Amino acid sequence: MVAPNIRLTPQFAVPFGEAMLSPCEPLNSELEKLFLAREHEEYRNPTPSHIPQQELFESRFNLFTWPEPCIRELRQFVLDGVTKTMMAASTLQTHDLARLTLHNHTWFHVTRHAGSFISHNHPMASWSAVYCVRSGDPVPDQPESGLLRLFDPRQGAGAFRDPANAQLKPGFALRPLELRLAEGQLIVFPSYLFHEVTPFFGRKLRITVATNCWFF
Amino acid sequence: MTEVAPQVVPIFATPFGLASVPGADALNPALASLLSQRATPERADMANHQAHTFQSRPNLFDWTEEPVSWIRTGLIDLVSGFARSINEFSDEQFAGFRVQARSWFTIVRPDGCVPSHSHANAAWCALYCVAAPQVAADRFDSGVLRLHESYRPSMFTDATNSATQLPYRPGHSTWRPVPGQLVIFPASIVHEIALLRGTGELILVTAIMRFLAPGQTGIPLW
Repeated sequence: MVAPNIRLTPQFAVPFGEAMLSPCEPLNSELEKLFLAREHEEYRNPTPSHIPQQELFESRFNLFTWPEPCIRELRQFVLDGVTKTMMAASTLQTHDLARLTLHNHTWFHVTRHAGSFISHNHPMASWSAVYCVRSGDPVPDQPESGLLRLFDPRQGAGAFRDPANAQLKPGFALRPLELRLAEGQLIVFPSYLFHEVTPFFGRKLRITVATNCWFF
Repeated sequence: MTEVAPQVVPIFATPFGLASVPGADALNPALASLLSQRATPERADMANHQAHTFQSRPNLFDWTEEPVSWIRTGLIDLVSGFARSINEFSDEQFAGFRVQARSWFTIVRPDGCVPSHSHANAAWCALYCVAAPQVAADRFDSGVLRLHESYRPSMFTDATNSATQLPYRPGHSTWRPVPGQLVIFPASIVHEIALLRGTGELILVTAIMRFLAPGQTGIPLW
């Protein structure tokens, strides 16, 4: 009997990009100060897609049009990250990219004690990203506080479980990806992925910037 | 323009059952009292530990006390009726199925929740409300069962496919637990109990169930 020489490859994989801004504290301090100063009605998203909570402030989606230097610096970092992720995950060449314009909707969230954001995705966009300005304080007896949970898009695939599929390696496992974002961390993922922010129980602030991007 | 109205029917529909359990007014207080007394660390399912939320080990239906026997019978009868109603089995065929169920109780306290999850190796999930607090004025979604929309048929949206009426409307589905009521849905649907705000406790009994046909093999152990 000939033993099969199996070549194992990921198929139907979800691209996920990550980068760290280092050092991030000077920029994050400026961003925090600016966001908190503008956390009021003039800057609030007037047409939220979900019923808002009082513990979570969501800004208008035009953040990257603001002229402040700290926003311009963040814009460069985030959109570069999106573009590099997209290029690494696709077969587009540099000359293809040069013909495209990157469009974005970008906003900030300030989350306080008991704030959360329910599962959602972002139609009419191809790539989404989240940058962490303030991670909020960890809560020792509530390890799930303030997590960004990205749901496995293969819903229902894990409904039959036996020992042979219950411990698949990362990348193959049928489970959500749960992230405790670090300050300065940028993540990039396809906009079709459903994701949520679990209830945050810290006493400090959790501040993030999110963007949806599309290229024409 | 011709006045032709197309026939529109839902396809890929998901069954969702809602029922009132007979006898709830009489037996719910005793059930609530029993479950509250037994929400002790030695009965907790530590694999699903959450601050401000107690979840018992999944052996509730092994208990012999009357209120538990009552809810076990009620849940199994209602889930069986639900399963029958969406299938075309004869009485004889259905009577030949072997019902397997696992059940536990959950007490959600203020600032507690049950995170998003689904249940493997089960067909149906039933959730029965034993007790529920007043609706929190400051949080419309306090303590609701939220069934997640897990995919969108299209990432492309326009004015006509993003604000459709039921049953085509995109978005999650929610149910506010009402004492004495039971809901049934596919166990593979991701669901959660949203953060409970305000005062009071939400007490729920959950059962996951499956129906084994005679001779059916390949069913993973729970």
